[in-house]
Amino acid sequence: MSSADPEHREEEEAPAVGDDEDTGAHVAPIVKLEEVAVTTGEEDEDAILDLKSKLYRFDKDGNQWKERGAGTVKFLKHKASGKVRLLMRQSKTLKICANHLILPTMSVQEHAGNEKSCVWHARDFADGELKDELFCIRFPSIENCKSFMETFQEVAETQKAEDEKESSDAAGLIEKLSVEEKADAEKKDEEKSEDKTVEKESASGKESKAVEEPASSA
Amino acid sequence: MALPNQQTVDYPSFKLVIVGDGGTGKTTFVKRHLTGEFEKKYEPTIGVEVHPLDFFTNCGKIRFYCWDTAGQEKFGGLRDGYYIHGQCAIIMFDVTARLTYKNVPTWHRDLCRVCENIPIVLCGNKVDVKNRQVKAKQVTFHRKKNLQYYEISAKSNYNFEKPFLYLARKLAGDANLHFVESPALAPPEVQIDLAAQQQHEAELLAAASQPLPDDDDDQFE
Repeated sequence: MSSADPEHREEEEAPAVGDDEDTGAHVAPIVKLEEVAVTTGEEDEDAILDLKSKLYRFDKDGNQWKERGAGTVKFLKHKASGKVRLLMRQSKTLKICANHLILPTMSVQEHAGNEKSCVWHARDFADGELKDELFCIRFPSIENCKSFMETFQEVAETQKAEDEKESSDAAGLIEKLSVEEKADAEKKDEEKSEDKTVEKESASGKESKAVEEPASSA
Repeated sequence: MALPNQQTVDYPSFKLVIVGDGGTGKTTFVKRHLTGEFEKKYEPTIGVEVHPLDFFTNCGKIRFYCWDTAGQEKFGGLRDGYYIHGQCAIIMFDVTARLTYKNVPTWHRDLCRVCENIPIVLCGNKVDVKNRQVKAKQVTFHRKKNLQYYEISAKSNYNFEKPFLYLARKLAGDANLHFVESPALAPPEVQIDLAAQQQHEAELLAAASQPLPDDDDDQFE
Protein backbone atom coordinates (compact mmCIF):
# COMPACT_ATOMS: atom_id res chain seq x y z
CA MET A 1 0.00 0.00 0.00
CA SER A 2 2.99 2.26 -0.38
CA SER A 3 2.56 2.84 -4.11
CA ALA A 4 3.35 6.41 -5.09
CA ASP A 5 1.00 8.50 -7.19
CA PRO A 6 2.37 9.39 -10.61
CA GLU A 7 3.83 12.86 -10.67
CA HIS A 8 2.75 15.53 -13.10
CA ARG A 9 5.33 18.14 -13.90
CA GLU A 10 5.52 20.35 -16.93
CA GLU A 11 8.95 19.98 -18.48
CA GLU A 12 10.54 22.43 -20.86
CA GLU A 13 12.63 19.63 -22.30
CA ALA A 14 13.31 16.01 -21.55
CA PRO A 15 15.64 15.54 -18.60
CA ALA A 16 19.12 14.41 -19.50
CA VAL A 17 19.12 11.93 -16.65
CA GLY A 18 16.59 9.15 -16.26
CA ASP A 19 15.58 9.01 -12.62
CA ASP A 20 16.51 5.38 -12.25
CA GLU A 21 19.82 5.57 -14.03
CA ASP A 22 22.67 5.18 -11.57
CA THR A 23 25.57 7.42 -12.56
CA GLY A 24 27.18 7.23 -9.15
CA ALA A 25 30.48 5.58 -8.38
CA HIS A 26 30.55 2.10 -6.94
CA VAL A 27 31.16 2.41 -3.23
CA ALA A 28 31.49 -0.41 -0.74
CA PRO A 29 28.40 -0.62 1.49
CA ILE A 30 29.12 0.26 5.10
CA VAL A 31 26.17 -1.48 6.72
CA LYS A 32 24.49 -4.83 6.24
CA LEU A 33 20.73 -4.58 6.65
CA GLU A 34 18.31 -7.47 6.75
CA GLU A 35 14.75 -7.22 5.51
CA VAL A 36 12.25 -6.87 8.35
CA ALA A 37 8.48 -7.21 8.59
CA VAL A 38 6.73 -3.87 8.12
CA THR A 39 4.34 -2.79 10.87
CA THR A 40 2.20 0.14 9.77
CA GLY A 41 0.09 0.27 12.93
CA GLU A 42 -3.05 0.15 10.76
CA GLU A 43 -3.42 -3.64 10.69
CA ASP A 44 -6.46 -3.72 12.98
CA GLU A 45 -8.30 -0.88 11.26
CA ASP A 46 -10.53 -0.29 8.27
CA ALA A 47 -10.17 2.89 6.21
CA ILE A 48 -13.50 4.72 5.98
CA LEU A 49 -12.06 7.70 4.11
CA ASP A 50 -8.87 8.01 2.08
CA LEU A 51 -8.09 11.29 0.30
CA LYS A 52 -5.17 13.18 -1.12
CA SER A 53 -4.55 16.40 0.79
CA LYS A 54 -2.14 18.94 2.19
CA LEU A 55 -1.89 19.54 5.91
CA TYR A 56 -0.93 22.67 7.81
CA ARG A 57 -0.45 23.42 11.49
CA PHE A 58 -0.93 26.83 13.06
CA ASP A 59 2.23 28.41 14.45
CA LYS A 60 1.04 30.57 17.34
CA ASP A 61 4.36 32.35 17.81
CA GLY A 62 4.39 33.51 14.20
CA ASN A 63 0.59 33.74 13.96
CA GLN A 64 0.66 31.86 10.67
CA TRP A 65 -0.09 28.51 9.08
CA LYS A 66 2.90 26.30 8.32
CA GLU A 67 2.94 23.29 6.05
CA ARG A 68 3.08 19.95 7.79
CA GLY A 69 3.03 17.70 4.74
CA ALA A 70 1.38 16.67 1.51
CA GLY A 71 0.05 13.15 1.11
CA THR A 72 -2.95 11.05 2.09
CA VAL A 73 -5.38 11.51 4.96
CA LYS A 74 -7.40 8.56 6.26
CA PHE A 75 -10.09 7.94 8.82
CA LEU A 76 -9.32 4.55 10.31
CA LYS A 77 -11.91 2.64 12.30
CA HIS A 78 -10.63 0.05 14.75
CA LYS A 79 -12.20 -3.33 14.05
CA ALA A 80 -12.65 -4.23 17.71
CA SER A 81 -13.17 -0.97 19.61
CA GLY A 82 -14.95 0.97 16.87
CA LYS A 83 -12.87 4.02 17.69
CA VAL A 84 -11.90 6.18 14.75
CA ARG A 85 -8.68 8.08 14.27
CA LEU A 86 -7.38 10.46 11.67
CA LEU A 87 -4.03 9.44 10.21
CA MET A 88 -2.17 11.43 7.60
CA ARG A 89 1.00 10.26 5.89
CA GLN A 90 3.36 12.21 3.71
CA SER A 91 3.84 11.00 0.14
CA LYS A 92 7.05 9.15 -0.74
CA THR A 93 8.63 9.12 2.71
CA LEU A 94 5.41 7.77 4.32
CA LYS A 95 6.14 9.63 7.53
CA ILE A 96 3.27 10.57 9.81
CA CYS A 97 1.94 14.15 9.65
CA ALA A 98 -1.03 13.73 11.99
CA ASN A 99 -2.34 10.94 14.21
CA HIS A 100 -5.22 11.58 16.59
CA LEU A 101 -8.54 10.15 17.69
CA ILE A 102 -11.80 11.71 16.55
CA LEU A 103 -13.54 12.57 19.83
CA PRO A 104 -17.20 13.41 20.49
CA THR A 105 -16.28 16.96 21.44
CA MET A 106 -14.45 17.66 18.21
CA SER A 107 -15.80 19.62 15.29
CA VAL A 108 -14.45 20.90 12.00
CA GLN A 109 -15.16 24.26 10.37
CA GLU A 110 -14.42 25.92 7.07
CA HIS A 111 -11.29 27.95 6.56
CA ALA A 112 -12.32 31.55 5.98
CA GLY A 113 -10.31 32.19 2.85
CA ASN A 114 -10.41 28.87 1.03
CA GLU A 115 -13.44 26.71 0.24
CA LYS A 116 -11.28 23.63 -0.32
CA SER A 117 -9.91 23.85 3.23
CA CYS A 118 -11.17 23.30 6.76
CA VAL A 119 -9.77 23.65 10.26
CA TRP A 120 -9.97 21.82 13.61
CA HIS A 121 -8.20 21.40 16.93
CA ALA A 122 -6.71 18.10 18.06
CA ARG A 123 -4.41 16.54 20.64
CA ASP A 124 -2.00 15.11 18.11
CA PHE A 125 0.20 12.04 18.62
CA ALA A 126 2.17 12.19 15.35
CA ASP A 127 5.52 12.52 17.11
CA GLY A 128 4.73 9.95 19.78
CA GLU A 129 3.71 12.50 22.40
CA LEU A 130 0.43 14.35 22.82
CA LYS A 131 0.56 17.91 21.53
CA ASP A 132 -2.18 20.51 21.10
CA GLU A 133 -2.41 21.49 17.44
CA LEU A 134 -4.67 23.61 15.29
CA PHE A 135 -4.82 21.89 11.92
CA CYS A 136 -5.90 23.05 8.50
CA ILE A 137 -6.30 20.63 5.62
CA ARG A 138 -6.61 21.45 1.96
CA PHE A 139 -8.03 19.29 -0.80
CA PRO A 140 -7.75 19.30 -4.60
CA SER A 141 -11.51 19.90 -4.87
CA ILE A 142 -14.45 21.38 -3.00
CA GLU A 143 -16.21 18.00 -3.16
CA ASN A 144 -13.37 16.24 -1.36
CA CYS A 145 -13.34 18.92 1.31
CA LYS A 146 -17.09 18.48 1.87
CA SER A 147 -16.67 14.72 2.02
CA PHE A 148 -13.96 15.09 4.67
CA MET A 149 -16.03 17.51 6.76
CA GLU A 150 -19.16 15.36 6.56
CA THR A 151 -17.29 12.21 7.52
CA PHE A 152 -15.52 14.03 10.37
CA GLN A 153 -18.84 15.26 11.80
CA GLU A 154 -20.52 11.88 11.34
CA VAL A 155 -17.69 10.11 13.12
CA ALA A 156 -17.69 12.60 16.01
CA GLU A 157 -21.45 12.20 16.44
CA THR A 158 -21.18 8.42 16.24
CA GLN A 159 -18.44 8.44 18.87
CA LYS A 160 -20.68 10.55 21.09
CA ALA A 161 -23.52 8.06 20.75
CA GLU A 162 -21.19 5.16 21.49
CA ASP A 163 -19.71 6.92 24.50
CA GLU A 164 -23.20 7.40 25.90
CA LYS A 165 -24.03 3.77 25.21
CA GLU A 166 -20.89 2.59 26.91
CA SER A 167 -21.55 4.57 30.05
CA SER A 168 -25.21 3.59 30.29
CA ASP A 169 -24.53 -0.06 29.50
CA ALA A 170 -21.54 -0.40 31.80
CA ALA A 171 -23.30 -3.13 33.73
CA GLY A 172 -24.77 -4.69 30.63
CA LEU A 173 -23.75 -7.83 28.81
CA ILE A 174 -20.83 -7.68 26.36
CA GLU A 175 -22.92 -9.33 23.67
CA LYS A 176 -25.71 -6.81 24.09
CA LEU A 177 -23.20 -3.95 23.95
CA SER A 178 -21.64 -5.16 20.71
CA VAL A 179 -25.03 -5.56 19.02
CA GLU A 180 -26.05 -2.05 20.01
CA GLU A 181 -22.74 -0.62 18.84
CA LYS A 182 -23.32 -2.13 15.42
CA ALA A 183 -26.84 -0.76 15.46
CA ASP A 184 -25.49 2.70 16.19
CA ALA A 185 -22.93 2.45 13.41
CA GLU A 186 -25.57 1.43 10.91
CA LYS A 187 -28.50 3.59 11.92
CA LYS A 188 -27.08 6.60 13.81
CA ASP A 189 -30.54 6.65 15.36
CA GLU A 190 -30.94 6.70 19.12
CA GLU A 191 -34.70 6.12 19.30
CA LYS A 192 -35.51 3.15 21.45
CA SER A 193 -38.03 1.73 19.00
CA GLU A 194 -35.32 1.59 16.33
CA ASP A 195 -32.95 -0.09 18.74
CA LYS A 196 -35.53 -2.73 19.52
CA THR A 197 -36.13 -3.38 15.83
CA VAL A 198 -32.41 -3.78 15.20
CA GLU A 199 -32.02 -6.09 18.19
CA LYS A 200 -34.72 -8.38 16.82
CA GLU A 201 -32.97 -8.43 13.47
CA SER A 202 -29.48 -8.97 14.88
CA ALA A 203 -28.78 -11.87 12.51
CA SER A 204 -29.61 -9.85 9.40
CA GLY A 205 -27.68 -6.93 10.87
CA LYS A 206 -24.58 -9.10 11.07
CA GLU A 207 -25.10 -10.24 7.50
CA SER A 208 -25.31 -6.70 6.17
CA LYS A 209 -22.23 -5.81 8.22
CA ALA A 210 -20.35 -8.70 6.62
CA VAL A 211 -21.39 -7.52 3.17
CA GLU A 212 -20.32 -3.95 3.94
CA GLU A 213 -16.83 -4.81 5.11
CA PRO A 214 -15.34 -5.84 1.73
CA ALA A 215 -16.72 -2.64 0.21
CA SER A 216 -15.15 -0.46 2.87
CA SER A 217 -11.78 -2.14 2.50
CA ALA A 218 -11.83 -1.77 -1.29
CA MET B 1 28.72 3.44 14.04
CA ALA B 2 28.92 6.18 16.66
CA LEU B 3 30.44 9.46 15.55
CA PRO B 4 32.02 12.02 17.86
CA ASN B 5 29.49 14.32 19.54
CA GLN B 6 26.59 12.38 18.10
CA GLN B 7 23.88 10.83 20.18
CA THR B 8 24.06 7.07 19.77
CA VAL B 9 20.98 5.25 18.51
CA ASP B 10 20.42 1.51 18.28
CA TYR B 11 19.79 1.55 14.54
CA PRO B 12 22.13 2.43 11.65
CA SER B 13 23.02 6.11 11.38
CA PHE B 14 25.14 8.06 8.92
CA LYS B 15 26.80 11.44 8.73
CA LEU B 16 25.49 13.24 5.67
CA VAL B 17 27.29 16.42 4.62
CA ILE B 18 25.29 18.97 2.63
CA VAL B 19 27.26 21.58 0.70
CA GLY B 20 26.69 24.12 -2.05
CA ASP B 21 26.50 27.86 -2.63
CA GLY B 22 24.51 30.07 -0.31
CA GLY B 23 20.84 30.44 -1.25
CA THR B 24 20.61 27.19 -3.21
CA GLY B 25 18.12 25.73 -0.72
CA LYS B 26 20.16 23.41 1.49
CA THR B 27 18.50 24.46 4.73
CA THR B 28 15.06 24.71 3.14
CA PHE B 29 15.43 21.16 1.80
CA VAL B 30 16.41 19.76 5.19
CA LYS B 31 13.64 21.69 6.93
CA ARG B 32 11.08 20.38 4.44
CA HIS B 33 11.96 16.88 5.57
CA LEU B 34 12.16 17.70 9.26
CA THR B 35 8.93 19.64 9.79
CA GLY B 36 7.16 19.69 6.44
CA GLU B 37 7.54 23.46 6.29
CA PHE B 38 8.72 25.36 3.25
CA GLU B 39 10.82 28.28 4.44
CA LYS B 40 10.60 31.17 1.99
CA LYS B 41 12.76 33.63 3.86
CA TYR B 42 16.49 33.31 3.28
CA GLU B 43 18.56 33.18 6.45
CA PRO B 44 22.18 32.21 5.83
CA THR B 45 23.35 29.23 7.85
CA ILE B 46 26.29 30.09 10.09
CA GLY B 47 28.89 27.37 10.43
CA VAL B 48 26.87 24.19 10.53
CA GLU B 49 23.56 22.93 11.86
CA VAL B 50 23.17 19.21 12.49
CA HIS B 51 19.71 17.65 12.27
CA PRO B 52 18.88 13.97 12.77
CA LEU B 53 16.50 12.71 10.09
CA ASP B 54 14.93 9.26 10.41
CA PHE B 55 13.40 7.07 7.72
CA PHE B 56 11.66 3.71 7.94
CA THR B 57 12.71 1.23 5.29
CA ASN B 58 11.88 -2.36 4.45
CA CYS B 59 15.19 -3.09 6.18
CA GLY B 60 14.36 -1.23 9.34
CA LYS B 61 14.84 2.27 10.64
CA ILE B 62 17.82 4.40 9.60
CA ARG B 63 19.03 7.85 10.51
CA PHE B 64 20.92 10.54 8.61
CA TYR B 65 22.69 13.17 10.67
CA CYS B 66 22.31 16.06 8.25
CA TRP B 67 25.24 18.45 8.50
CA ASP B 68 23.71 21.49 6.88
CA THR B 69 26.70 23.76 6.21
CA ALA B 70 27.15 27.43 5.45
CA GLY B 71 27.19 28.15 1.74
CA GLN B 72 28.38 31.72 2.07
CA GLU B 73 32.14 32.12 2.43
CA LYS B 74 31.89 34.62 5.28
CA PHE B 75 29.90 32.18 7.41
CA GLY B 76 31.99 29.19 6.46
CA GLY B 77 33.73 28.56 9.76
CA LEU B 78 35.73 25.35 10.01
CA ARG B 79 34.55 24.05 6.68
CA ASP B 80 36.90 21.09 6.29
CA GLY B 81 36.22 20.18 9.90
CA TYR B 82 32.53 19.71 9.09
CA TYR B 83 33.39 17.15 6.41
CA ILE B 84 35.49 14.86 8.62
CA HIS B 85 33.97 11.35 8.86
CA GLY B 86 31.28 12.25 6.33
CA GLN B 87 29.80 8.98 5.03
CA CYS B 88 27.68 10.45 2.24
CA ALA B 89 27.01 13.86 0.76
CA ILE B 90 24.68 16.12 -1.17
CA ILE B 91 25.96 18.97 -3.32
CA MET B 92 23.17 21.48 -3.95
CA PHE B 93 22.94 24.03 -6.73
CA ASP B 94 20.12 26.28 -7.89
CA VAL B 95 18.92 25.76 -11.48
CA THR B 96 17.84 29.42 -11.60
CA ALA B 97 21.36 30.70 -10.81
CA ARG B 98 24.03 29.62 -13.27
CA LEU B 99 26.90 30.57 -10.99
CA THR B 100 25.84 28.01 -8.37
CA TYR B 101 26.29 25.22 -10.92
CA LYS B 102 29.64 26.66 -12.03
CA ASN B 103 30.82 26.40 -8.42
CA VAL B 104 29.87 22.74 -8.06
CA PRO B 105 33.35 21.50 -9.07
CA THR B 106 34.90 23.53 -6.27
CA TRP B 107 32.52 22.08 -3.69
CA HIS B 108 33.18 18.61 -5.01
CA ARG B 109 36.95 19.08 -4.90
CA ASP B 110 36.94 20.40 -1.32
CA LEU B 111 34.61 17.64 -0.18
CA CYS B 112 36.59 14.83 -1.80
CA ARG B 113 39.81 16.04 -0.24
CA VAL B 114 38.40 15.03 3.12
CA CYS B 115 35.89 12.30 2.24
CA GLU B 116 37.21 9.69 -0.13
CA ASN B 117 34.94 7.31 -2.00
CA ILE B 118 31.61 8.19 -0.42
CA PRO B 119 28.28 8.24 -2.29
CA ILE B 120 27.42 11.76 -3.43
CA VAL B 121 24.21 13.13 -4.90
CA LEU B 122 24.22 16.29 -6.97
CA CYS B 123 20.90 18.14 -6.64
CA GLY B 124 19.58 20.81 -8.97
CA ASN B 125 17.02 22.61 -6.81
CA LYS B 126 14.14 25.00 -7.64
CA VAL B 127 13.01 23.15 -10.78
CA ASP B 128 9.50 24.44 -10.00
CA VAL B 129 10.59 27.92 -11.12
CA LYS B 130 9.59 28.65 -14.71
CA ASN B 131 12.64 30.59 -15.89
CA ARG B 132 15.45 28.23 -15.10
CA GLN B 133 18.95 29.15 -16.21
CA VAL B 134 20.59 25.74 -16.07
CA LYS B 135 18.78 23.28 -18.32
CA ALA B 136 18.74 19.60 -17.50
CA LYS B 137 20.76 18.89 -20.63
CA GLN B 138 23.48 21.25 -19.50
CA VAL B 139 24.10 19.34 -16.28
CA THR B 140 26.98 17.01 -17.06
CA PHE B 141 29.37 17.29 -14.10
CA HIS B 142 27.89 14.24 -12.39
CA ARG B 143 28.85 11.98 -15.29
CA LYS B 144 32.44 13.13 -15.23
CA LYS B 145 32.80 12.54 -11.51
CA ASN B 146 30.46 9.57 -11.02
CA LEU B 147 27.88 11.36 -8.91
CA GLN B 148 24.17 10.70 -8.98
CA TYR B 149 22.04 13.63 -10.16
CA TYR B 150 18.47 14.54 -9.26
CA GLU B 151 16.42 17.52 -10.28
CA ILE B 152 14.45 18.50 -7.21
CA SER B 153 12.15 21.14 -5.83
CA ALA B 154 12.01 21.72 -2.09
CA LYS B 155 8.93 23.84 -2.78
CA SER B 156 6.84 21.35 -4.76
CA ASN B 157 8.44 18.27 -3.15
CA TYR B 158 9.38 17.02 -6.61
CA ASN B 159 11.90 14.19 -6.15
CA PHE B 160 12.46 15.37 -2.59
CA GLU B 161 12.89 11.87 -1.21
CA LYS B 162 15.19 10.63 -3.98
CA PRO B 163 18.54 11.87 -2.64
CA PHE B 164 17.97 10.11 0.69
CA LEU B 165 16.70 6.93 -0.92
CA TYR B 166 19.68 6.80 -3.27
CA LEU B 167 22.17 7.32 -0.45
CA ALA B 168 20.46 4.74 1.77
CA ARG B 169 20.63 2.17 -1.02
CA LYS B 170 24.31 2.84 -1.62
CA LEU B 171 25.25 2.73 2.06
CA ALA B 172 23.39 -0.56 2.52
CA GLY B 173 24.43 -2.03 -0.83
CA ASP B 174 20.79 -2.84 -1.55
CA ALA B 175 19.24 -1.49 -4.75
CA ASN B 176 15.83 -2.73 -3.64
CA LEU B 177 15.73 -0.89 -0.34
CA HIS B 178 12.67 1.33 -0.14
CA PHE B 179 10.81 3.55 2.30
CA VAL B 180 7.86 2.06 4.17
CA GLU B 181 5.20 3.41 6.51
CA SER B 182 6.37 4.75 9.84
CA PRO B 183 4.49 2.76 12.49
CA ALA B 184 1.41 4.70 13.57
CA LEU B 185 0.98 4.10 17.30
CA ALA B 186 -2.56 4.13 18.65
CA PRO B 187 -3.19 7.61 20.08
CA PRO B 188 -3.99 7.49 23.80
CA GLU B 189 -7.33 8.59 25.20
CA VAL B 190 -7.43 12.23 26.22
CA GLN B 191 -9.48 13.89 28.92
CA ILE B 192 -11.56 16.84 27.77
CA ASP B 193 -11.11 20.07 29.68
CA LEU B 194 -14.03 22.39 28.92
CA ALA B 195 -12.13 25.59 29.67
CA ALA B 196 -9.25 24.52 27.43
CA GLN B 197 -11.70 23.51 24.73
CA GLN B 198 -13.31 26.94 24.70
CA GLN B 199 -9.90 28.54 24.39
CA HIS B 200 -9.00 26.24 21.48
CA GLU B 201 -12.25 27.14 19.74
CA ALA B 202 -11.47 30.84 20.07
CA GLU B 203 -7.94 30.30 18.77
CA LEU B 204 -9.28 28.21 15.90
CA LEU B 205 -11.71 30.94 14.92
CA ALA B 206 -8.87 33.46 14.73
CA ALA B 207 -6.57 31.02 12.91
CA ALA B 208 -9.27 30.20 10.34
CA SER B 209 -8.99 33.74 8.97
CA GLN B 210 -5.22 33.56 8.43
CA PRO B 211 -4.21 32.74 4.83
CA LEU B 212 -2.45 29.51 3.94
CA PRO B 213 1.23 29.88 3.00
CA ASP B 214 0.76 28.57 -0.54
CA ASP B 215 -2.74 29.89 -1.19
CA ASP B 216 -1.92 30.81 -4.77
CA ASP B 217 -0.45 27.38 -5.41
CA ASP B 218 -3.02 24.69 -6.10
CA GLN B 219 -0.54 22.03 -7.09
CA PHE B 220 -1.02 18.58 -5.68
CA GLU B 221 1.72 16.02 -6.13
